[in-house]
Amino acid sequence: MGLVYPAGAATVSLLVIGGYMLFHGDGEQFNVGQFLESVSPYAWANIGIAMCIGLSVVGAAWGIFLTGSSIVGGGVKAPRIRTKNLISIIFCEVVAIYGVIMAIVFSSKLNLVGDDEIFSGSNQYTGYALFWGGITVGMCNLICGISVGINGSSAALADAADGSLFVKILVIEIFSSVLGLFGLIIGLLVTQKANEFK
Amino acid sequence: MEGLFFNVNSGYVEGIVRGYRNSLLTGQHYNNLTQCETIDDVKLQLAPAYGDFLAALPPNPSTSALAGKMTDKLVAEFRYVLTQATGSTARFLEYLTYGYMIDNIALLITGTLHERDTRELLERCHPLGWFETLPVLCVATNIEELYNSVLIETPLAGYFKGSLSHQDLDELNIEIVRNTLYKNYLEDFYQFVNTHPDFKGTPTQEVMSELLEFEADRRAINITLNSFGTELSKQERRKLYPEFGKLYPEGSLMLSRADDLESVSLAVSISADYKAFFDAVGLTQGAGFGGGADGKSLEDMFYQKEMEMSKVVFTRQFTPAVVYAWMRLKEQEIRNVTWIAECIAQHQKERIGNFISVF
Amino acid sequence: MSGAVPEITRRIDEAKQKMGRVMQIAAFSLAEVSYAVGGDIGYQIQESAKQARFRVRAKQDNVSGVLLPHFESYTEEGINDFGLTGLGKGGQQVQRSRETYARAVETLVELASLQTAFVILDEVIKVVNRRVNAIEHVIIPRTENTIKYIMSELDEVDREEFYRLKKVSNKKQRDIAAADAEMEARRAAAQEKEGQKALEPEKEAPDAPDVLGEQEDADVIF
Repeated sequence: MGLVYPAGAATVSLLVIGGYMLFHGDGEQFNVGQFLESVSPYAWANIGIAMCIGLSVVGAAWGIFLTGSSIVGGGVKAPRIRTKNLISIIFCEVVAIYGVIMAIVFSSKLNLVGDDEIFSGSNQYTGYALFWGGITVGMCNLICGISVGINGSSAALADAADGSLFVKILVIEIFSSVLGLFGLIIGLLVTQKANEFK
Repeated sequence: MEGLFFNVNSGYVEGIVRGYRNSLLTGQHYNNLTQCETIDDVKLQLAPAYGDFLAALPPNPSTSALAGKMTDKLVAEFRYVLTQATGSTARFLEYLTYGYMIDNIALLITGTLHERDTRELLERCHPLGWFETLPVLCVATNIEELYNSVLIETPLAGYFKGSLSHQDLDELNIEIVRNTLYKNYLEDFYQFVNTHPDFKGTPTQEVMSELLEFEADRRAINITLNSFGTELSKQERRKLYPEFGKLYPEGSLMLSRADDLESVSLAVSISADYKAFFDAVGLTQGAGFGGGADGKSLEDMFYQKEMEMSKVVFTRQFTPAVVYAWMRLKEQEIRNVTWIAECIAQHQKERIGNFISVF
Repeated sequence: MSGAVPEITRRIDEAKQKMGRVMQIAAFSLAEVSYAVGGDIGYQIQESAKQARFRVRAKQDNVSGVLLPHFESYTEEGINDFGLTGLGKGGQQVQRSRETYARAVETLVELASLQTAFVILDEVIKVVNRRVNAIEHVIIPRTENTIKYIMSELDEVDREEFYRLKKVSNKKQRDIAAADAEMEARRAAAQEKEGQKALEPEKEAPDAPDVLGEQEDADVIF
């Protein structure tokens, strides 16, 4: 596979650098706690927001191309499926909308504060909450988008073969589209208690 | 994982092929066809499925003309799919055409051996086995030139190399050449679907392995049965068996030693499926090739099995194997319609039901 | 010979009906081949057949002086040029179709043999018929006319002769009567004269044949 060589190179370089630091007595510089504390909560928050919207959009786009190519192909011989199956596309699109909504909710916590106050406990909490909330929503939406996409692709082809199957498969598709909603809820809960930066 | 990336390149192709599959004739259609009184009625019944392709036919066409037009439609559809495919799917589809190419090259070899004008043979070549450099082969006037141009110009070079020399083309029966090539082709195809990174571990590998193993076994059994009473020696016969499949290696070995029906049916008893065929056809009871009680020959049973396997392929998604299955089903459909038309034209209605319909 | 023709027509009829059936089966077995093989194998078979497996021998039969050719078919079992055709699939059907067609050709040869015999016999019968007709309608009437003419001529001659004889006999009777009368007169005169010349010898008249008597005329044959 194409990813074997980059992954191998990354691991080797990491080991070499880690070993170098360890054997030169600088081992304590590899300090996870310090790293986490020294990164600005702004960075955490914004990366969280970016991951939220970015992964959601990737999920939605992925789902749409999975579904879309099947609808286009199946629609050649069964043109009646094209309008009905737009609903699969919409399901995928909804995933991106979850991401957008969450990104807006998250970004409302952003606020400009002074250099010293930013490392306060409350702000640290907000930064981490937005970061992990964003990751949760983003990953959920990514998986949800793919899931809806594969389902939608099957739904389109099944509909092309037999019109009565569409509704049945749509029910399954709804189940997979709910997955994104779970992420959205958890994301909301995680950031609910986080205060704005102050 | 195939669901994640397959549609990037091949979702459209798959969708189209599934559309084609939906327009295959069903049992209901076949029922209507068997009720027809003339070929014109047949033509009329086929009109929704075949449309324009049959329009050019004169009234009451011959069955071969009818089959020709139906094949034209298959070819047109396959060509469209082939042009739409990219990446590994395109490679897969090319593999599908190699089988027909082997037939075409065998035809040209026959023509060259008998010093005929091979250009006239180009029209007889199967259009699916057509490739751009096929006409170049007609320039060859003797078998050595032909052999060299086959090696240079065709995608089949790999199948010639190592197993056939130009002397072999001259000396061996053309059927042996053809079957050697086909064996190499099947093995190569099997290797391809099992090792290509895009297919390894996907439904393609699973489904195609099964189909190709069946094809390999069928060829091995057929070659054995058909070689009885001919000059084909057992050693030569053994070389024609594809080296994979459910029967390989024990069954193949037993087949290669078989010299009557009993030993063949003993060899295939490794696989319950094939054993069932032999039992149903009644070869073990020495009823001969004629077929069993319901008039089905072994050949029919194999076709039936192949069609059922092909039908099941459509339960899998994200695999180009559906193209393979669709082509097999379509070819069977053409054979079925030709059979029905032939029965109608020759007023042999009592055997009209002897076709294979799986939908 | 006339017995052979109905026999042959009956056999031709049988052979033709058999041919119809056999050819139908043969054509159907070809359909089976194309079903099983799924492609066109015609060219390959044409090219791979080098020697005739099915052969025909010609003999001559003699039916009532007419030489009839008679064809006999036989197969060279050793020759099987396209035995490997359809090795991969459909070979059994190809071989079966070949056998069916061999039977069909056998029937055709039989039919050809009968048809040739029929045509030749037909020709011969036509010639004979013409000859019979010519004799019956031309030569015989002509001969009969001649016979009739000859008969009538003969009758004519016959009648003429009869008439002439009759005339001759009438004349003779008249002559005899006249001679008698003269003789009477002379006798009377002589009796008168006897007295004068008593010993004058009596002269007999020549003995004329009795035409009307029982003695018939001999036939006149020309």
